[in-house]
Formats: sequence, structure tokens, C-alpha cells
Amino acid sequence: MGVLTNAVAGVGLAPDAAMVTFPIEMFLPGSDIAPVEMRKREFYDGLTRWRSAFAGDGAGEAPMIRVEGTSVEDAFARANHLMLANRWGDGLPLWPPTRARVDWILGGAAQPRGRGLGIFPPRGGVTTVETCAIALAMAGGRPEYLPVLMAAVGAFLDAESGSEQLQAASGSAFPVVIVNGPIGAQIRLNAGFGCLGPDPQRPAGASIGRALRLLQQNLGGALPGIGTMANYGGMRYTNVVFAEDEANLPAGWTPHGTERHGFAPGISSISLAFANGVTNIRRRGAKKETPEEDAQQGMHRMADFMRVRNMPGLSGYERGTPGILMIPGVVAQTMAGLGWTKASIREFLWEHSRIPAEQLRRAGCPAWIEIDASKVTRESLALDPWPITASPDNFVIVVAGGGHPTNSYWLQGYSPGVVGRPIDLSSSFESLLADADRDLGPR
Amino acid sequence: MVNLEFHDPSGAIEVKQPHAPRIATLEGKRIGFVSNEQWQAYRMLPRLKALLEADFPGIEVLPFGAFPQGNAVIGSEETAALVKASGVDAVIIGNAA
Repeated sequence: MGVLTNAVAGVGLAPDAAMVTFPIEMFLPGSDIAPVEMRKREFYDGLTRWRSAFAGDGAGEAPMIRVEGTSVEDAFARANHLMLANRWGDGLPLWPPTRARVDWILGGAAQPRGRGLGIFPPRGGVTTVETCAIALAMAGGRPEYLPVLMAAVGAFLDAESGSEQLQAASGSAFPVVIVNGPIGAQIRLNAGFGCLGPDPQRPAGASIGRALRLLQQNLGGALPGIGTMANYGGMRYTNVVFAEDEANLPAGWTPHGTERHGFAPGISSISLAFANGVTNIRRRGAKKETPEEDAQQGMHRMADFMRVRNMPGLSGYERGTPGILMIPGVVAQTMAGLGWTKASIREFLWEHSRIPAEQLRRAGCPAWIEIDASKVTRESLALDPWPITASPDNFVIVVAGGGHPTNSYWLQGYSPGVVGRPIDLSSSFESLLADADRDLGPR
Repeated sequence: MVNLEFHDPSGAIEVKQPHAPRIATLEGKRIGFVSNEQWQAYRMLPRLKALLEADFPGIEVLPFGAFPQGNAVIGSEETAALVKASGVDAVIIGNAA
């Protein structure tokens, strides 16, 4: 029901609707649909008697919240309890977004605090520079992170990202934000070991991704079981925010932001796609392989992991991505030495991840492909073996993950598009970096 | 005592248009379905059509496949234009789960 009230609010209607709701069992194959008849009057009333219970235009500033405690710790705890009770939190401790803290975060903004960024789907929360700063403050962020969050929000709100549907969908999509350019190292965003996890040395990704998630929930209405039907919701505490390891890109390999979005090398930018799975692939060999054999076998192993019937991924079949492949810099450099490029790796993966048509049929996949909105996708059914994406160019390959050659990482795609945005910096950015050095120690 | 004041992070929403007005009666009216073809819609919507036709004299209920079906198309301007051109007095949208 929350999914629908979000959806109607998102198109500018009052956040309610004439609905007749049933338990999920009635929507399953072979169900007893007799309740439709038993509750037919509700359908009739919905067409004739229903009235919206929502009054007013909903616009205006959200109020400030006040709590009182016997000590700083007590007030902090009460604020956290209140935020959970109001369904604004994620279960982990939050920084209460006080005026002082939000104003501090806004020091990283290149635009005025009231600047509108759009409507956060599907609920339709009015998104401004200030609402981003509030979320980043809650997530424990710092002002120098704000430009990356703002760019990520801009990409998220782009219809091409598919966020409106994916926010509510059951398939547990989570946004992946890839950062290119100097800002990654400047704000301590991880590109190396453990870049998708916690790292006190490079903590920016966790706060930025958590802030994006809080915006998804608090402005976008994606509350589990109410506004998002995601069965599992993995990776959603912090989403995925990391930098490409450009320092270890082999000579001749272009950064992802340049390759996919055309940003000039050296320009700070983000690229946003959605994924619904995370897989570690043991890439290297175990005995006496030659370098060529090691590379080739590792590539086959990666393609084997990709050769799956990922039906949610059909949404990105034509223009999105089947997934994001992360390979460590040391592997990229070895492969480049053997003559591999990002383009030739894509070609290999595209060719070797194809699925025999018979395997599609036995799993009932043609029904999903036939109802897809994209003509290119529907027509792909004629191909045998079936390529998992329309073009090799759709694969995203990013160099990241530290100086160890054993593994690569596959973020399975659920992404109608891959959206890029340049990052705008405030005039005080350099001084914010100096403040970070003072607060956190040298980089 | 310590007071802590902080921003409500849920922001604002803007209501830009009212919901469609309800019709006074279903008798003699033309009703349509817009279906995403999911979640047993192929069984439920025909059942609802039969119920409406049995309960309201003179009602005309279009078949549930009268308009384009599927999540990918039911929200499009093209589908909205087809619904409007059909002259229906009201529409039932289903199914969501």
C-alpha cells in the first residue's frame, strides 16, 4: 500500500488513493480469488464515494524537532529514539541533524541551500541542497563529501537511472556510485583494499552511501515492506560508493568516467548504476599457469559467473549494464601487458557469457523477455546462444580493489541506465580538505 | 537539562493536482481497466468485470485487454491518451503486489 501512496504522491497527487488491498496470497498462481466478490462494494465505492483524506498542498518547510535530555548523552539517545520511532533511521546510531551540523555540512555546497534538485521518487519528497546536507549530517558525513553526494543524487533523480521503479521493486536493487578524478583521494574515498566495506582510513564512501540511502527512505519513501518491496535489501545500509583506482590504471586504459560518459580525464565525476548482487570471483590460478593461461582462465571464470538468467537485468539490456566488474590494479596491469584492453575484455566476456536458448526456455525466461518494453530486448530472443546484454559496450569495467591479484568482484546489474554527472566543488573546497587533515590526520 | 533541536529529515511534498472526481453512480457508465498483466490480473479483472455487469444496469465494462498492458506501458502518455479517447467514465488499475 505504501508503494502506491508513494507513487501517487510522486506524480503530484495527494498521498492517498482509492485502493482495495488483499493479502499477498491472493496474488499468487492458483489462488482463491473469491475475496474479490466478497469485497466488491469497496471497488464500487472507490469509483463513486471515495474522497482523499489529505488536506492542503503539502508544500513548505519541514519543522524543526526538539528533544530534551538530562545530559548530552541522554539528549542524543532521545533524538535517536525519536528518529527511529518516526521511521527516519536505519537502526544504526545517527547524528541528529542540528542546525549547526547541517550548516557545517553545507560548507561543501557549490549551490545555495534552497536550490531544488528535483522530486525524490517515488514518494516525491522535495529534494534540495539542504535535504542532502541533512541526510549527510545524519550519516556522519563531512562537508567535503557533499559534492559527491549531490552529484550522486542528481544522477539518481535522472529518469534514465530507473530509480522510480527500482525504489519500490522487490528485486533489492541498490545504487552503485563510481567516482573518478582527483576528488576520490582528496576526500579519502577508498579505491583499494576493502573499497566496498568499512575503512577508518578512507571513510567517505560509507557516509555518502548511507546518506543516499537515508534520502531514498526519508524523501523517497522506500521503507521496507511499506514503500519498498525488496525481499532482502542487501548492501542498503551504505549502498556502494568507491573510487576507481586511477593511479593503477595501465597505460592506455581510460578511466570509467571518460570511457562511459565522456568526462575529460582529471575531471571529478560520478557514475551511478543499480545492482542487485555481489559476487567475489577467485580469478587467479593455483599452480604453474603461464601469465597468458592465468589471464585466460581467470577471464573464463568471470564469464562463467556472469552466465546467469538475471531477468531483473533485462531492464538494462539495451542501454544499461549487465553489471560492474571490478578488477585490482595489479591484475589490470598484468593483463594490459599481455595486450588486453577494457574493450577486448568486454568482447571476451560478452562472447563467453552467452546462454544457450534451451537453457533460457527450461527456466521460463522467454516470457520475461517477450514482455520487455525494449524492442531490442524482445528481438534478442532470436539469438542462440543468447547474449546477456545487447552490446559488449554495456559491461562496466572498473579498476579497484587493492594490490592483490587473486580476486575480482562482480556487481550484477539491475540498471536501466548508467548515469554520469560531473562534480561541482564549492569555492572553499581546499580549506575543507585542510580541515579534514586537521581533524583526521594526514591522508 | 539539555535541549537538542534538529531538522525533520522527511522534507516536504507538493500536491500539484487533485485526484479525479468520483462518478455519482455506476449505472449506465462506461468503465475500463488498465492492467499491468501481473499478479493474477488475468483472473481478477474479468471477475470484477462480471460483477460490475451483474450489479449495475446499463453499465459497459471494457475487456481488461482493451488498452496496452504491462508495467512498461501503462504509465505512458500514449496509454493515457487511448484511455481518454475511449470515452470511459472511470478506470480501475490493477494489479499491484
